[in-house]
Amino acid sequence: MMRTFRGGLLIGLAVAVLVAIGAIVYEFYDTRTLKRTVRRGEVLCGVNAGLPGFSIPDDKGNWTGFDVDFCRAVAAAIFDDPKKAKFVPLDANERFTELQKRKVDILSRNSTWSMARETTYDLYFPAVAYYDGQGFMLPVARKIDSALDLNGSKVCVQASTTTALNLADYFRANNMKYEEVKLPKLDDVVKAYADGKCDTLTADVSQLYALRLNMTKPLDHTILPDVVSKEPLAPVVRQRDDDWMMIVKWTLYAMINAEELGIDSKNIDEALKSKKPDVMRLVGTEGNYGEQLGLTKDWAVRIIRHVGNYGEMYERNVGSGSKLQIPRGMNQLWNAGGIQYAPPIR
Amino acid sequence: MRNFRHLTWMLIAAIGLVFSTTQSNAQKRPDADEPGLVADDAYELEPEWQKQVVYFRTTEAPGTIIVVTAERHLYLVQGNGRAIRYGIGVGREGFTWQGLVNITQKKEWPDWTPPPEMIQRQPYLPRFMAGGPGNPLGARAMYLGTTVYRIHGTNRPDTIGTAVSSGCFRLVNRDVADLYDRVPVGTKVVIRQKPEL
Repeated sequence: MMRTFRGGLLIGLAVAVLVAIGAIVYEFYDTRTLKRTVRRGEVLCGVNAGLPGFSIPDDKGNWTGFDVDFCRAVAAAIFDDPKKAKFVPLDANERFTELQKRKVDILSRNSTWSMARETTYDLYFPAVAYYDGQGFMLPVARKIDSALDLNGSKVCVQASTTTALNLADYFRANNMKYEEVKLPKLDDVVKAYADGKCDTLTADVSQLYALRLNMTKPLDHTILPDVVSKEPLAPVVRQRDDDWMMIVKWTLYAMINAEELGIDSKNIDEALKSKKPDVMRLVGTEGNYGEQLGLTKDWAVRIIRHVGNYGEMYERNVGSGSKLQIPRGMNQLWNAGGIQYAPPIR
Repeated sequence: MRNFRHLTWMLIAAIGLVFSTTQSNAQKRPDADEPGLVADDAYELEPEWQKQVVYFRTTEAPGTIIVVTAERHLYLVQGNGRAIRYGIGVGREGFTWQGLVNITQKKEWPDWTPPPEMIQRQPYLPRFMAGGPGNPLGARAMYLGTTVYRIHGTNRPDTIGTAVSSGCFRLVNRDVADLYDRVPVGTKVVIRQKPEL
């Protein structure tokens, strides 16, 4: 009798241990980010360690920026609390591998969406958050307002970059002549431009606005509206993680749709009383779009209340409310002069 | 005695009421119209309101004016994905409108005859004011269709970027003169509002 009891106890113990091991293994191999994020109670965001306007910490460790706000929007959608986003600075070389190794849930780090990046690293860029591209900065005094008027210019450019290749392509395609002032380091390129060794400086537009801030007289320099290359900056997630990818994608689209519908952080309570069907679907007073994402009915309301719509996020960080003063340009909505376009919520 | 006290209270209440009405009238008085103030031409606009060439994708033909009131920007379409953008002041709440009109008339240093409905709202305004640097219509005016609205200059450059007007679109004098020279009578003007909730 005693013997059987002890035997039963042992079998019970063995089963318990096996279940525990199973649970640990399952937890380790459970690649569903949404589940892991919810259990952890925070979103881990891979960001740039310091890029004004996009992601930068102050001396107290408070992060600000466009990429930072987007990650906060994802946290707001899930937890109704933008503070549930934790920022992990990653450098350019490690960013994709760190995401692959599940050190972060999402990469929101001024990364250009390209085919090779999706295929090589087994990653997925859900939607374009910011259309960047190569442009030109030059002194206002030159009174040029089109890149097509740059024929015969001396152009400062960083050597052995895609920027230098795009420059050559653009001038060749438009049958224009130019003289390159190629330097290996960006700092030297900027210095050469500031010293008047070239007529114009070429780099990505968002970068040009940041570089302009460091000029002795920033407003003596202008950035042309022409964009001559494609640098679509997008958040990044892992492939085969569809629930999570859907949340990241529709967080951005909710913000863009909110702006298009005229909903912002200031009038969100008014929007909740709206009788317009497309407003009602976005704020969750009609339909169950949030639930179908694995979130709540008010998922978009949370985003807009805590972070704002797309335009608010843009203006606050890189636009008129920031030092950078980058005009909306391509990032204006599709029906207001730009190309930002979100599929409808219906 | 009781009646007397009653009357006293009523008197105090009445005085209070009159006082508070004048107070709130004074607050409501839009400070955007200041006839007689000479425009400060050296006033520097915030970068956002400064005239600049921007990327602008549209199906409207080059030469068309697009006013986006929510943004406080006026675009003059240039074609080839670009537009000249000017900062503007727009109508205050309740004085916004949208639609498609044409420029029907152009005037330099226009006289100002505030329309009767404006006089009714703001009785302190002059009935007529000759054109000049102290005139709220500023250096140029472009008449919009058969409406009472205009695209005009201003003697108050500090109101660019705000919603204070009675429905007109105002630019600083330098910008309105620049626009004036670029657009002929007959120019198509599209006015866009923020969507209603």
